Amino acid sequence: MIYLTDGTKECFLTAFLYAYSDEHALLSSSQTQLALGQQTVFIAADAKKAARAEKRLLSFDKDCMHDLFLLLRSGMNNREQIAFRYFKLLAAQKRPVRNMLAEDAVLAASECMRKVTLEIHHMHGFVRFLECESGALYAPLSPDNDIVDLLIPHFRARLPAFPFVLHDIKRKKAAVYDGENVFCAPLERAEIALSANEQDWQALWRRYYRSVNIPQRERLKQMKGYMPVRYWKFMPEFGSRGPFLT
Amino acid sequence: MIDERRLKILTEGAKYDVSCSSSGSKRKNEGGMGNGYVAGCCHSFTPDGRCVSLLKILLSNDCVYNCRYCPNRLDADVPRVSATPEEIAELTVDFYKRNYIEGLFLSSAVEKSPDYTMERLVRTVKLLRTQYRFHGYIHLKGIPRADEALVREAAQYADRMSYNIELPSEQSLKLLAPQKSKESLLLPMKQLAGEALVFRREKRKGLFLPAGQTTQMIVGASPEKDGQIVRLTQSLYRNMGLKRVYYSSYVPVVRDSLLPDLPAGQLREHRLYQADWLLRFYGFTAEEIAPENENLPLDLDPKCAWALRNLQLFPVEVNRAPLETLLRVPGIGGRSAQKILEARKYTTLTFEHLKKMRVVLKRARHFITANGKFYGAKSETAVRGLLAAGENSENAMQMSLFAERETALSALTGEL
Repeated sequence: MIYLTDGTKECFLTAFLYAYSDEHALLSSSQTQLALGQQTVFIAADAKKAARAEKRLLSFDKDCMHDLFLLLRSGMNNREQIAFRYFKLLAAQKRPVRNMLAEDAVLAASECMRKVTLEIHHMHGFVRFLECESGALYAPLSPDNDIVDLLIPHFRARLPAFPFVLHDIKRKKAAVYDGENVFCAPLERAEIALSANEQDWQALWRRYYRSVNIPQRERLKQMKGYMPVRYWKFMPEFGSRGPFLT
Repeated sequence: MIDERRLKILTEGAKYDVSCSSSGSKRKNEGGMGNGYVAGCCHSFTPDGRCVSLLKILLSNDCVYNCRYCPNRLDADVPRVSATPEEIAELTVDFYKRNYIEGLFLSSAVEKSPDYTMERLVRTVKLLRTQYRFHGYIHLKGIPRADEALVREAAQYADRMSYNIELPSEQSLKLLAPQKSKESLLLPMKQLAGEALVFRREKRKGLFLPAGQTTQMIVGASPEKDGQIVRLTQSLYRNMGLKRVYYSSYVPVVRDSLLPDLPAGQLREHRLYQADWLLRFYGFTAEEIAPENENLPLDLDPKCAWALRNLQLFPVEVNRAPLETLLRVPGIGGRSAQKILEARKYTTLTFEHLKKMRVVLKRARHFITANGKFYGAKSETAVRGLLAAGENSENAMQMSLFAERETALSALTGEL
């Protein structure tokens, strides 16, 4: 049986209760890849059931909801299934399974969580802000995982005087810090009026970037390993044909 | 706003400094802009595979010193430019705000005199910290022979300071950098190490070089052997409490009768970094890594080479070996060792398990048993052959002098 969730934590926990004793259960929040001949049920989030499941799981591992939080942020299509197998093992073992690294379910889950936290770390570095006329900062990005709001605390701590917007182009949503409050909102397109100096600072940055490179030591493969090409799109030091070097 | 021409010249003068790491500082944002990022953060990568973490720049390239290997030495016919402390501070803050950089790495040629230069460096960081209220990462290069009081003042504003010892022996330093001396480099290092100790012991308020000190030396411009370099490195870690020692393989930027015409291999530099990691994270001593008057082998990494010299200690059983022993197995690093320690609490590990856990077994299989089973080659010669062959097939492209091995410098991101 395929259990379709709406992607939320509550719905996942509800589905978890239904699917727990089903040996062929498949949990998913995407309707795109449904196997033929499989029965599908749409699960509606049920606050009571979810709370029951959460309480039980927490009694086995008090940190496990943080794992679920990260797993459901993943951009992988099978994230619900990965989480399901992980929590099923937790329920069977009745103790934290995080370090049972010889178990497939744990390996898959920890790999999936690592991708999310790694991307958060990457984005702390690779986000590029544009300065708007108003002095606010705007950064477009399209991360693999649903993490824009998780980037806010980092930037807020270092730039408390600057309101900023982190715009997830792919998911059409924005995480906003208005100088005081933090919130998330759907955002399709943004019209930005850049500050008078923005282009000059970008030009200086490009000049810096190509001056600090040592051409005799070219190692493109290593560069791309550290900074995957899909992240280049919003960085001023890269054009459509790669890094600006001339 | 600084102009592009000077930015280019001042950056190109600074780029051969290897250090770019921004780790180790917990500096808080106390009203203003910026904070430390303990793990360090890379903001971009250049096509040479190096990370861009800090704005690495000279305050001036107008030098009164005449170090033979340096493109900015007194005799060199290059355009001379300087930036003002205000220009550097503005550049840092505007780059930082846009999240281009994690902070500033400020260095300078010795302009007019050491004190004059050091005073300007200190003025720049002080301006950033007090007027711009910038709390991001600042790495400041120390100028040899500058006044003690200036050095002390600098350390109150910077997160990290470094004096480059430049060459691995006193003779080479005398020959190639006649205006610098061993004392002029080691004394301020000692001064800072001592003052940091007092600062921490007395639990004074504020910060004093939270990310410590580092240094750098050029490899391949002078005749010292790797064994000597590794010993020097070890003593710097032990006696000076340095956080990092960087190596830069010599690239001939200037021609000089006292310098080699050819660049030193990138692979040699890579092997030195591997040895450096063994010293810092794997519990090895310099004496175990290489004899004093020998170089590290190029065909094998230093841990493999050590293991082959000490085959009587192997194989070790992964289900029982303590952490220190696991860390000495070729191919097993800190992360793999930790994973093994955790996983074996729950089950007896087999080779299949290790493979699934992504423990790299290419080298390790010759040195471990898993649940009593051994999958390595039988004789030392066979192991040596396989290990060296593995290295070569990975790097089969390497023929020309300038082509680089993919593996070289792979550990050199600012995150470490």
